[in-house]
Amino acid sequence: MTNSKSEAKAPAKHKMTTWEKNQLFWGWLFIIPTMAGLIILNLYPIVNTIYQSMCKTGDFGRGNVFVGFENFSRMFADSEVWQALLNTIKYAIIEVPFSICFALVLAVLLNRKMVGRSAYRAIFFLPMIVAPAAVAMVWRWLYNSQFGLLNNLFGLKVEWISNPKIAWISIAVIGVWSILGYNIVLFISGLQEIPHDYYEAADIDGASGIQAFFNITVPLLSPTIFFVLITRVIGALQVFDLIYMVMDQSNKALPKVESLVYLFYRESFDFGDKGYGSTIVVLLLAVILVVTVFQMIGQKKWVHYE
Amino acid sequence: MKKRLISALLVSAMCLSLTACGGGGGESSDGGSSGGGSSSGALRVAIWDNNQQPGIQEICDLFTEETGIEVQVEVKEWDSYWTLLEAGASGGDMPDVFWMHANNSQIYMNNDMLLKLDDYIDKSDKIDMSKYLPQVTALYTYDDSYYAIPKDYDTIALWYNKTMFDDAQMEYPNENWTWDDLYDAAVKLTDKDAKKYGYALNVTNDQDSYWNMIYSKGGHVLSEDHKESGYDDPNTLKAMDFVGKLLSDVCPPASVMAETQTDVLFESGTVAMITQGSWMVPAFKQNEYTAENCDVAMIPYDAETGIRASICNGLGWAAAANTKRPDDCWKLIEWFGSEEMQIKQAELGVTMSAYEGTSDAWASNTDLFDLTGHLAMAEESTVEGVENMIVEYPFTYNAVKWTSQCQKDLVPAWDDPTQMEDKCKEFAKTMNDIIASESK
Amino acid sequence: MHSMETRRKVERVVVHVVLIFFSIIMLIPFIWMLLTAFKSVSEATQIDPFVIFPTVWTSDAFAKVWNNMNFLLLYKNTLLLIFWRVVCAVLTATLAGYAFGRLEFRGKNFMFSLVLFQMMIPAQIFIIPQYLMVSKIGMTNTIFALVFPGIVTAFGTFLLKTAYMGLPVSLEEAARLDGCNIFQSFLFIMSPLTRSSMVALGIFTAVFAYKDLMWPLVVNSSANMMPLSAALATMQGQYQSNYPQLMAASAIACVPMIVLYLLFQKQFIEGIATSGGKL
Repeated sequence: MTNSKSEAKAPAKHKMTTWEKNQLFWGWLFIIPTMAGLIILNLYPIVNTIYQSMCKTGDFGRGNVFVGFENFSRMFADSEVWQALLNTIKYAIIEVPFSICFALVLAVLLNRKMVGRSAYRAIFFLPMIVAPAAVAMVWRWLYNSQFGLLNNLFGLKVEWISNPKIAWISIAVIGVWSILGYNIVLFISGLQEIPHDYYEAADIDGASGIQAFFNITVPLLSPTIFFVLITRVIGALQVFDLIYMVMDQSNKALPKVESLVYLFYRESFDFGDKGYGSTIVVLLLAVILVVTVFQMIGQKKWVHYE
Repeated sequence: MKKRLISALLVSAMCLSLTACGGGGGESSDGGSSGGGSSSGALRVAIWDNNQQPGIQEICDLFTEETGIEVQVEVKEWDSYWTLLEAGASGGDMPDVFWMHANNSQIYMNNDMLLKLDDYIDKSDKIDMSKYLPQVTALYTYDDSYYAIPKDYDTIALWYNKTMFDDAQMEYPNENWTWDDLYDAAVKLTDKDAKKYGYALNVTNDQDSYWNMIYSKGGHVLSEDHKESGYDDPNTLKAMDFVGKLLSDVCPPASVMAETQTDVLFESGTVAMITQGSWMVPAFKQNEYTAENCDVAMIPYDAETGIRASICNGLGWAAAANTKRPDDCWKLIEWFGSEEMQIKQAELGVTMSAYEGTSDAWASNTDLFDLTGHLAMAEESTVEGVENMIVEYPFTYNAVKWTSQCQKDLVPAWDDPTQMEDKCKEFAKTMNDIIASESK
Repeated sequence: MHSMETRRKVERVVVHVVLIFFSIIMLIPFIWMLLTAFKSVSEATQIDPFVIFPTVWTSDAFAKVWNNMNFLLLYKNTLLLIFWRVVCAVLTATLAGYAFGRLEFRGKNFMFSLVLFQMMIPAQIFIIPQYLMVSKIGMTNTIFALVFPGIVTAFGTFLLKTAYMGLPVSLEEAARLDGCNIFQSFLFIMSPLTRSSMVALGIFTAVFAYKDLMWPLVVNSSANMMPLSAALATMQGQYQSNYPQLMAASAIACVPMIVLYLLFQKQFIEGIATSGGKL
């Protein structure tokens, strides 16, 4: 692998070897369906969004007036946007690590031969397909400050989703809950590819389950963990539906919970100000880009590919 | 072998299905030109309320019997309805005939997205614009032209829980009540420890609650010329002060009202009275608790001014400006707006029809409630010294912006009513800025 | 010996306790959904006190909903939608994933960063532009329109790339020595080894297709072309919904998904990976 890499990148202007030519041909052939699709379907909207962020948009996509960075200077001065950015980051900080840790443990447990394994797997999968309306109803009931189950069961008077200090945590808990199934499926599929022989060897050597976990499972699963980490960070930073459904717009904690996508949706769709909404999207994109790049760089430190 | 054959058949069935066009007999989906709708076959009608669908479908079936024109009714939900309409207006296929709402009508009319109906109206013998409630017609008039035929209107009334009144041995609300009467009764019915309250209003209940109080006390939300905020009007502040009193003394905590909407609180027997719009009647009919325990009276009036006010909003039937069959669309709209069909709509009990004189049909759609509470608003007052005032929904070019902002800005005042006056005054400035910057 | 056995037993019990605890938490909304489907309208929304079990178990909601909505048609549309999206996604993603994961060629990194970039954009941005595209080619109101946004998948490409990168180099080198060209080694050796990732991709594609409601509502106008999620969404009234009916419909809608999942996950074979030639 390393050999061909240095060959391909060597500054010397030698002719490409057959192997390199082959890779070039097949490589491009294989990626063309996907790239063509992505470019046709998605490139134009993305470019259009960036363009719109620099316009004062008119209704129905007509009458856009180019205004340069006016929207951006408005956004930089808008404290609501910065608060939303902070909210989004706080949400991600809770959702990502917790959902990955729990899912990892559960996936390992569910990967062994055991009684009821299929049943458990199906149960953990359920939250992914239950009607969002049902999910929202149940959590609102659990969290209701006067009539909710949590407060009445434990005799508390906590405003779970109306107290600005903790509402974001309550929402993040729902986030973790709803994404566990997704993470578990991915981890199970990753675990499938770890040869059993390693575990057998460790067992013979007298290693406990926990030792095997940290010394075999985690390193060999690191590509999958990395994948989940990246996609979940992106997903968490884009949180919207959850907040929209569980928190009413009159909720006094909303300013401390609303995410960037929530603001974007409000500006672009409710208020019809697509220009400003696009500006917010550009900000979100920049943040996600930076975070992802850092993760990609850090990849080399802890992810073991074969 | 069998397995292979079955899979082969399945695969070919799947392939055929890909390009199959939608719909049953009689329609063709048009080759995607940017004109609206289909050039032959059924007219596309889009609505967003599932509750109204059976009624609308029946009216459309009668239309097809009468004219032979097929109609296809599409039901969406609120968010996707407007996205769809906007997508269509931005260059796709708009439905032929659809509902218009005060929130968006200005934008659509200003951009020539709606079919101008003046000529059709002049030639028609079924449609007489003077027969419709003027407050609704105004919502769909632009530059002195008509762009939609009024479909219905709504009023606000006082809903109360008979059982809670009976338990406290109190008289039910009636049309002689003032806001002070409401306050006094609410105080008697409130028992905070038992989590029972006399009245509830959330900051989002603007149209259904405090806007009515504002107009009743002689204040206003928006100036007549639709350009200036009325939130710093002294009478408005008086009304909001009253709201503050209610919040402190007779309402559930603000966070509870925000988390659980006021209509749910009412339906659970937690709150004895709420003011609500006539659009809630189907929901209250369906809910067994309210059906059994609740009824409705007229919204109270103000002792000082003698004004009984109710905001009024209404939907309109509009057609796409670029529809390929404007004449057919007009026929359908005319049908919906005609006296007979307005009566039919009212009979089906969904909303009050905008055509004058059709209200009795609506009153008799249920015997669970006495609906005169809502209906009497549109008529002359029967109480001496009291004026019934129907207030046009305060619209501007993009009203959603400042109504949402208002709801946001007043949240702290709901939590701490002492801030009410300051927050209102602050908001008045914000509202003026928003209106000034509306693109036109 | 004795202590090893007890330790194993204790481990097993602990594992079950943990799993059961989490299972209950996972199940709560599902159970709620089912219970609400049997309640009366007022019990469904009542808050004081909250009603957990219906006082009278009525199956009215189910009957009404089954009669009003053509579930068989909705199932068919949804299954077609899922089938095509899964086929397209797995095909395109596995090809691209292999290329990105195991081949070296000019422009690879740039192209992959475009793939990653596309995942970072909120989905709402694409709705109107993609609708306009479908409308211009006159394919609104078809199954094709429903499938359209899912024909290619950045997420799937990334997933499969990760899977391919995790496979040992030795295999490929051995194949090359045996005279396989790239295409053959891809088809016969490498891709079968990523089966569990392809299954995972299939599951996710199916779930996301099933959940997608804004897009079907916008692009398809006829009720005959709706998938389940969109039909459920239209049951929500503007001010209030009939919750028992909504939950009944949602419960009926869950059934094909559960069946599909159980079928798919059989492919997650008993944790013994055969990545031959490893040890």
